[in-house]
Parts: sequence; C-alpha cells; structure tokens
Amino acid sequence: MRWNNRLKYLFLLPAVLWLLGFTIYPLLYSLRLGFYNVRIGDSDIFVGFGNFVRAFRDPQVISAARVTLIFVLGGVAIQLVLGVLFALLFNRKLPFRNALRTLMTLPLFATPIAVGFLFFTIFNEEGGLVNGLLNAKIPWLSSPRLSLVSVMIVDTWQWTPFVFIVVLAALQGIPKDYYEAARLETSSPWIQFRYITLPVLQPTIVLVVVLRLAEAFKVFDIPFTLTQGGPGVSSQVFSMYAFRAARRFFDFGYASALSYLLLIIVAFIVAVFFRRIRQVYQ
Amino acid sequence: MTASSRKRTFAIGFSLLAIAIAILWFVPFYWAISLSFRRPADTFTTAGLGIPFINYAPTLENWQRELSTPETIRALTNSTIVSVSASVIALIIGVPAAYALARFRFKRPPNEDLTLWFLSQRILPPIATVVPFLLIMRQLNLIDTRASLILVNITFNLPFAVVIMRQAFLDLPIELEEAALVDGTSYLGAFNRIALRLAAPAMAATLLIVFSFSWNEFLFSLTLGTLRAKTIPVFMAGAVDTRGIQFWFVAVRTLTAIIPPVIIATLAQKYIVQGLTFGAVKG
Repeated sequence: MRWNNRLKYLFLLPAVLWLLGFTIYPLLYSLRLGFYNVRIGDSDIFVGFGNFVRAFRDPQVISAARVTLIFVLGGVAIQLVLGVLFALLFNRKLPFRNALRTLMTLPLFATPIAVGFLFFTIFNEEGGLVNGLLNAKIPWLSSPRLSLVSVMIVDTWQWTPFVFIVVLAALQGIPKDYYEAARLETSSPWIQFRYITLPVLQPTIVLVVVLRLAEAFKVFDIPFTLTQGGPGVSSQVFSMYAFRAARRFFDFGYASALSYLLLIIVAFIVAVFFRRIRQVYQ
Repeated sequence: MTASSRKRTFAIGFSLLAIAIAILWFVPFYWAISLSFRRPADTFTTAGLGIPFINYAPTLENWQRELSTPETIRALTNSTIVSVSASVIALIIGVPAAYALARFRFKRPPNEDLTLWFLSQRILPPIATVVPFLLIMRQLNLIDTRASLILVNITFNLPFAVVIMRQAFLDLPIELEEAALVDGTSYLGAFNRIALRLAAPAMAATLLIVFSFSWNEFLFSLTLGTLRAKTIPVFMAGAVDTRGIQFWFVAVRTLTAIIPPVIIATLAQKYIVQGLTFGAVKG
C-alpha cells in the first residue's frame, strides 16, 4: 500500500515527543543527579561516582538488594509453578469455568496499596483471619523472618492469576488435532505434555517470566502498607529504600544513583531476552 | 473400579479442586466485605470467617460514615479526574501513533524497534523518574496539583495505549481501508471513518485498563500529590500508622479503592490477557 508520507510522521510524532519530554528527559536529568550531591536551594556539588561507590558500601543497600532478590526470584518462581498448574487444571472441562476464571482474575486490578492494607488485617497477629482460622499466634508481620514471606504471599495472591490467564489462553490456542495425532502413538498424558504442551507453551512462558521479573523488581506498594519495610529493614525492598533516601532525607543525588542501579538490573533482564521479545513485534 | 468410572472420579475431583482454588482466591475480598459491615465491637470477637447475620449483626454505619467525610469525597474526586483525564488524553495521543506503526512503514528506526521503544518505557521502574519529576514539577510550580498527576499518568498510559492499539489495528482487515482509498477517500478519512470505528471495542477496553492503572498508581501520587491533590491510594496509605488496628475502617477504605478498578477491568475481560502481555498473547 502506498501511504502519504507526511501524515505518518504527523501521527507518530506527538507520542514520540511526549515520551522524549516526559521520560527520556527525566531519565537523563536523573542520570546527571546521580553524579551530584543535590542541595535544595543551593548549587549542586559534583561528586563523580561518589554516590555509586557509597551505594556499594551502604549496608541498607546490600540488605535491600538481598530482600528484593529473594522477593523477585522466589515470588516469580512460585507464581510460575502455581499459575501453570492452575492453567492446566482449568484447561479441562469444568462446571462454571468462565465464571471461576473471571473470579480468579479479580486480584489483578485490585489497588496494590489497598491490597497491602487489607492483608494487614488478614495477617494480623491479633484477630487476623489467618491466625483466627489456624487458631495460632504466628507473628506474620512482626517477625523479621516472616515479614518478607508475608509480602511474597500477598504478591503471589495478586500475580499468580496473571500467569494463570496468560498460560490458559495459550493452552486454549493449541489445536486439538495435535493431541489426536499423538494419541495414535501413545496414551501417556506425560508424553503428550512433554512433547506437545510444553514446547508450544515455551515462548509464552518466557514472555510471562520476563514481564513478571521486570514488574516484580518495581515492588513498592504492597510492603509499603503491609509491613512498611519492617520490622527493621527485613522487608525493605530496593524501591522503598531509594524512595526514602529521596523523600525522607532529601538525598536526591543518592536516590537517583540508587534508582539507576535498579534500572540497570531491569534493563539487563530485558536485554537478555531482547531477541525473543523483538520477534513478537515483527 | 472400571476405567470409565475412574475417569469420572478424576473429573469430579479436578472440578472440586478448581472450585476450591477460585474460592481461596476470593477469600480476601470476602473478608474485606465481612469486616466492612461489622460494628467495632464485633471486629475481634467474631469467630472464624465471620458470616453476616449468623456470626454478627451487620451494620451500614462504617460505610455511611466513611463515604460522607469530605476527605474521602475529595480523594475520590481527585482520583476520578486524574484517571479519566490521563486515560483519555493518552488515547488521543497514542491511537494515531499506534495506527502509524500498524499501517505505515518506517525505515529508520524500523517499526518493530519503535514499538519496542514504546514498550520499554512501560517496563522501566518508575522509581527512576521519581526524583527528576519531583524537581521538574517544583520548578513548574505544579507540586500538589492534579495537573502534575495527569501529566505523569499520561506518560505511563501512553506507551501502553500505543503498543496495545497497534496490535488492535494489525488485527483489522486491511482490505476495507484499501477499498476506501481506491474509492477516493483520503488517508485521514480511511483512518477516521473505517479504522477508528472498527477498533472502537479495543479502544474502549484499552481506556478501561489504563483507567485502572492510573487509579491504582501510588508512587508518584505520594511524591507529587501530598495534600490537595491526594488520590485514593495516598489517602489510604496516610492511615496506615494511625488506624491500621481499626479493621472495619481498613475494610471500608480497601473496598472503596478496589471496587472501581476491579469492576472496570472485569468489563474488559476479553482484552485482559492481550493487555497484560502487551498484545503478545491473544485471550
């Protein structure tokens, strides 16, 4: 098709310019701030890599990095396994399948701040739902060993449905005759799963994992209301510490350097899968 | 047991398991609903799951009190204005760009790289732009205004709208637009009268989904909208320290925040899979 040349740029440019102005410019600004000691109402002092060097020596950063890594890797792994199992289960003939599926997707769009607040009442030691049902007094939120686990459970509640509905959609896209053909050769459901289902699902699973990893590294809202990063710093995730540096201590240069470290990690994950993702949009 | 009766037992077992999982996933919502109708005195004394009328006498008082306070009304108003404006404007800017990526050929950079560039904006951790946004908004004198929150939310919604709507246009049959062009319609006319109309359901779904994203956005609202421009999530978070122990209160506020995006996104059920995977997987 022959297309009018000026029109296509007219259509594309507003969106490109908007993002250059409101994302790329702030990112460059932030990069510059990372090399300065920012003082409000005074001129900034250039400190070179000072903020970055400081980050690698800061015990709070080490702790936040550790907490975030456990949260991301542990959480995404559990969500992946549960989500795939649920999808396989729901791919069978079930009564009220669509209604149940819709019910399962409700957490996806629930306001994360509110979810954290709500689970505060569910995990509360006194009168909380979980301890009430278990008739126990487990310190879900006040024990440094359990607080991160609680945050991960909440994240798993909210995001397993994502893996579930995406994998279910992919499963439903597998043509039935693949299995019919296989049934001529073997009756083993495991062999059908291993040699038909899994290979067809593989690109979807890779995509789900990349999206989930990138999203999980941003975690902020749920620990903010559920545990406020505590007790101590036992559930203080990376974004939270960077935010505190900026908002509580007005240490804008350091906060910028910290958020750049997180940006680099997420960019690295996306880059690893870049060719895979690019194929999707070709 | 015969093979067929064993098969039936399995089928029933799997069905029960699926129902149990769906119920388990719904329990937190149920718990919020149950708490929200309790009198303060019933909060801790109610046994187990707290079934209204059986375990306690429900009351509407918490809802009435919470929804009639001016602070709640202001937060709801702020959230609504910010989310609606940011979603509509993001679509107005994003849809033409999406159409351009779906129908025209760009050479340098090629279409797929442009699309990925838009996508990458969505994947980047928001904390990376918190500080510069704060400083920029301070210079523009826009701190604690709805305008600053609308600007931020457009920025988050725009890449999403572009990537999703690009896929929606690609899924339309191109022949209708080609036929219109042969008949002498202008390019703009083909876009306006044919493509936009056919893509209307996808646009509506995209609008609903980005509305929910904006409604739920917390980090930037917390940074930029501290007082007058407080949105629902910030309003809620402000009560964490002081009122966390008042479960009935937590429940009412939680539901006030959660109900709009959950219902709205459920309306777009058909597009949720496509939306959450940026068009890569069809629902």
